[in-house]
Amino acid sequence: MKKRLPWIWVLVGLAAVVGLFLIPGGHSQTLQVAQEFEIKPIIKLPAIGPVDLSVTKPVIYLWLATAVLVAVAIVIARILKAQPGRVQALLELLYSLARDGIVRTTMTSGADTWFPFVGAAFFFILVSNILGLVPLPFGEHHQLSFYAATGNLNVTITLALFTFVFTHYAGIHKKGAIGYFKGWAIPSAPPVLRQLIFFMHIISEIFRLVSLSVRLFANMLAGHAILAVFFAMALVFQSYLIAGVLQVGSVALYLFEIFIAFIQAFIFAILSAVYIGGALEEEH
Amino acid sequence: MDAHAAKLLGAGLAIGLGVIGPGIGLGTMIGSALESIARQPELKGDIRTNMFIGIGIIEALALYAFVISLILLFVAK
Repeated sequence: MKKRLPWIWVLVGLAAVVGLFLIPGGHSQTLQVAQEFEIKPIIKLPAIGPVDLSVTKPVIYLWLATAVLVAVAIVIARILKAQPGRVQALLELLYSLARDGIVRTTMTSGADTWFPFVGAAFFFILVSNILGLVPLPFGEHHQLSFYAATGNLNVTITLALFTFVFTHYAGIHKKGAIGYFKGWAIPSAPPVLRQLIFFMHIISEIFRLVSLSVRLFANMLAGHAILAVFFAMALVFQSYLIAGVLQVGSVALYLFEIFIAFIQAFIFAILSAVYIGGALEEEH
Repeated sequence: MDAHAAKLLGAGLAIGLGVIGPGIGLGTMIGSALESIARQPELKGDIRTNMFIGIGIIEALALYAFVISLILLFVAK
């Protein structure tokens, strides 16, 4: 049992090395970083008005994440046991982390009402991030490549909008529209300052939306960019010695990225819980 | 200095200056986390968890600079 763990790491490392060899398209000697940001439709569909409904790479990754989550949930629900096996123990650990560690510690009231949203966001982002570290054949020439749906700003803004809308829905639902917006201006403050405080609160709400989405997006993008740069440096230096050193470095970075994938899902969920909990709180 | 050179310079300066603040912040925070672990080793797990949450939040600041420099390099005309 204790002897098996290092072999798992070696396998992960090998997978990373194989995957990294395939990042810059396999054919070209130069890495066209600007092209990595383009989103090309894989299945072309007609646009309805300004909304393009074509199926692109992020869409496929989102479907994959959903499919993985649903499949795991169904399979685990079928074989639930009182004496949990390894997989069930891991999932129970994650579940209790989401429920007790994220929601119940940060929200004073309404924790169980809002756990389904925060927990779903946590698991969805976690699976999306981890999928970004699995080489999958969705490259331009169907070569294996890395891509994370959460490394796309559109996806993360949508996720952050969910939190944004639910925050204000929770507040208005609990205190009524007038009571909720009055709470923004802090009734105990001197009347002269109230308008200013209200205005500053609006700005801070907008910046919450920005920071929540850009944090996740930038972390995923930077992780992939660093992995790509580490491999591209081997192409630049054209030396087997440097390439070997860089490969070891990129395996270490890959393991670090697994950790980052988890931490970012955790941070998104805990900040969502804090924001929703803040909207539900009584006036101070 | 033509526009392209200014763009490259701006991208470099954005990330270079942008990591100063988060660097100081991370140093302060990890330093005090280690200090408190040394003082109370029995709270190691709790402190480490909260430290990593803080790292994730501070790290995002450096990544904003990273995004700006990428925008300057590849998106800005």
